[in-house]
Amino acid sequence: MLLTTLEYVPGKTITKHLGLVQGSTVRSKHIGRDIMAGLKNIFGGELKGYTELLQESRDEAVARMQEQANSIGANAILNIRFSTSNITQGASELYAYGTAVVLD
Amino acid sequence: MEYSNPEIPEGINASKENPLKEFFLLLGGIGACIAATIIILSLLAGRLAVYIPFSTEEELVAGGILPEDEGNPEVSAYLQGLVDDLRDELEAPEDMHFTVHYLNSDTENAYATLGGHIYMFRGLLELLPNENALLLVLAHEMAHIKHRHPIIAMGRGVVIGLLLASITGLSGDYFVGQVVNSTGLVTLLAFNRDQEREADATALAAVARRNGHLAGSEDLFKILRDLESRDPINPPEFLRTHPFGNHRIENVRELAQQNHWNLEGGIIEIPPQIQKLVAESELPQ
Amino acid sequence: MFDLIVFLVLLLSGFVIGNLVERNHYRSIIRREAQLRNLLLIASKKLPDEFMPCTTRMVAGNVVISVDFFKKFVAGLRSLIGGRVSSYESLIDRARREALLRMREEAQKAGAQYVFNVKTETTSLYKGKRGAIGSVEVLAYGTAVTLANQPSMKAG
Repeated sequence: MLLTTLEYVPGKTITKHLGLVQGSTVRSKHIGRDIMAGLKNIFGGELKGYTELLQESRDEAVARMQEQANSIGANAILNIRFSTSNITQGASELYAYGTAVVLD
Repeated sequence: MEYSNPEIPEGINASKENPLKEFFLLLGGIGACIAATIIILSLLAGRLAVYIPFSTEEELVAGGILPEDEGNPEVSAYLQGLVDDLRDELEAPEDMHFTVHYLNSDTENAYATLGGHIYMFRGLLELLPNENALLLVLAHEMAHIKHRHPIIAMGRGVVIGLLLASITGLSGDYFVGQVVNSTGLVTLLAFNRDQEREADATALAAVARRNGHLAGSEDLFKILRDLESRDPINPPEFLRTHPFGNHRIENVRELAQQNHWNLEGGIIEIPPQIQKLVAESELPQ
Repeated sequence: MFDLIVFLVLLLSGFVIGNLVERNHYRSIIRREAQLRNLLLIASKKLPDEFMPCTTRMVAGNVVISVDFFKKFVAGLRSLIGGRVSSYESLIDRARREALLRMREEAQKAGAQYVFNVKTETTSLYKGKRGAIGSVEVLAYGTAVTLANQPSMKAG
């Protein structure tokens, strides 16, 4: 599955447009990460725990988007965009979407 | 160029699992974790608290935070006499001092607190039929002090309170906080009941040694059981601070059988002038 | 004791009614998606040359969906342990699909065959109290394209 944020793939032609595919996931932190973040608030620096959490969420959102694309027979996803929103205290939603196409 | 929007199967972005399964799993998991943490911390707190010397306890309460005697000094002196008498039977350490106070209040209770102070309320004293029962009540409270239960309970309370406050603070949801607190409290109650059983056993041994028999002990627990049955709610044992009255009565019989203590013997009345003073203090001043 | 009963009643009604509402909503969403399958959503910005000449206009659809007590409580438990909050995932999924459907319905009323450059915005509307989630709003917007001469295309 080819993933790209471009609108087209250089050197290939699109034979079929299969529409919008989306992947999203809502994840929450746990107490351990929260406590570390609280300490970091005093000392400063990268919140590695949260970075990892959002990284995992992003991977999962992309994986779900690919699952949707696979299920409709696409072999590439173009024009991928991400969006993060804060749903409630401690839980964020990660959303990835793009256009599923069949390249030759 | 072909354009289409094929149907995408359900269940990729939203789980089709029954939400109840996750609910019970989470609830059970969190409840078990909190209970386990509290049990471990309570045992630790209990082990460490006994290293606080008794003299520190006395200093803690010396500043006058405990209630003042507001009963009759003659009754207090009578009670103190019984307590001093029991002291040798209890095999308490040398530096431990027992002071009993009499409070003129309707509350049907007696309690032991830091520094070896015991409080007896008029409400309970009125209900006791004879001196044997009174002796057992005092011995029970003295046993709490001997085993350092007040300081252990305080240590536990501080540690567990801190833990629960931080967990509920982090969750941010009011009801989740309530659930966490309730789980904590229910776990702590089990420790309370253990302390009561330990105090019962030590008190019965002390009274048996002093009197040579355990007459009047069952009567005391029957009175406590009647007080218990007056509670309209009637929660199950795991929600109570003390074991069931009936269980305590069974315990008396078992211990008497194991140690060959006689359940029958001479009943001593509470001195009449004390009974008079107690009855009189019921009148509004 | 009384607090416990109130809590259990809220939890139960949240679960039962919330579940019912969600299932009905999903049925409605699936039905309407099937009806609107001819109207294609494309995330790209560039219109292919064969689409000219055409008319374009902006279309948008939005929806605000509230969370029920049961979902909120389960999410609260999750925030202690961490991991996927599946109770909110279905909420967001519903809201997003509903917003996209409403956008498509608006495009269909305008007579368009495609919506290009589809984007979505998600916001949560707090009540102001710490951690209290009131509802989730999803806005979907894009450019509806009406072709002057219809090309032949397979209906998906």
